[in-house]
Amino acid sequence: MSELLGMPPGRVDADIGEGAVTITVDASVYPLPSVYAAAFTFIARCWVFLDRDGADRLRIVLTAKTPIDADGLRALAGEMSNELLASAWRREITRLNRGLIESVTMAAFGGAMGPPSLDELEAFDFADEPFDDPLGIAQSWEDKYKKPKPPAEGSEGGTP
Amino acid sequence: MTLRFHRTVYAGTAIDAALQRFAHLANTTFERREEGDYFVVEVTSTTDARTKKIARELGNFALGLTIENGGANP
Repeated sequence: MSELLGMPPGRVDADIGEGAVTITVDASVYPLPSVYAAAFTFIARCWVFLDRDGADRLRIVLTAKTPIDADGLRALAGEMSNELLASAWRREITRLNRGLIESVTMAAFGGAMGPPSLDELEAFDFADEPFDDPLGIAQSWEDKYKKPKPPAEGSEGGTP
Repeated sequence: MTLRFHRTVYAGTAIDAALQRFAHLANTTFERREEGDYFVVEVTSTTDARTKKIARELGNFALGLTIENGGANP
């Protein structure tokens, strides 16, 4: 294992012969679900292995599936660090907005929460018109264009 | 090659499912046991290179299934 230029020593180590880079992160800064999310994005091009390093640290080992040099490993470690930060931040935003999301969802589904109670029905004003429809848009085709009934024989409009 | 999957990181069911998926591979054996906080899998195949590749793919598969199942303790 050797250190990579520009990477924090002890946090990022490389095994150039194996094409592997090991990143150690603090689990209180990057919780496991964030590490999962970040690791999942690398599964197609790397072999990813996760492990615990003590109680509060996680170790991420990325081994490239294709030959890679020190610069490639440094880029891989950098990409992983960025992805970790993005995942942790997305998770934090979700946590902060949970109340808002729940209230919007409750409001959206409020209409489907079941039939009204008897008290609510008693208070409902049934005399109120549902809505104005001056153009007759809500009318059915049959109602709007129905033919007038022919006048019955012997009625006022008939010819003698 | 020995793979050591930490219990709080990998789901045991995901490891079992991955092993089941890889069980058909020719000339390759998998031996699963538990040691403290770890699920341990011994992978043996025809050559070292093949063993290493299969073990690493198994690790990826177990991780993918663990994540899909919502983590080690869903």
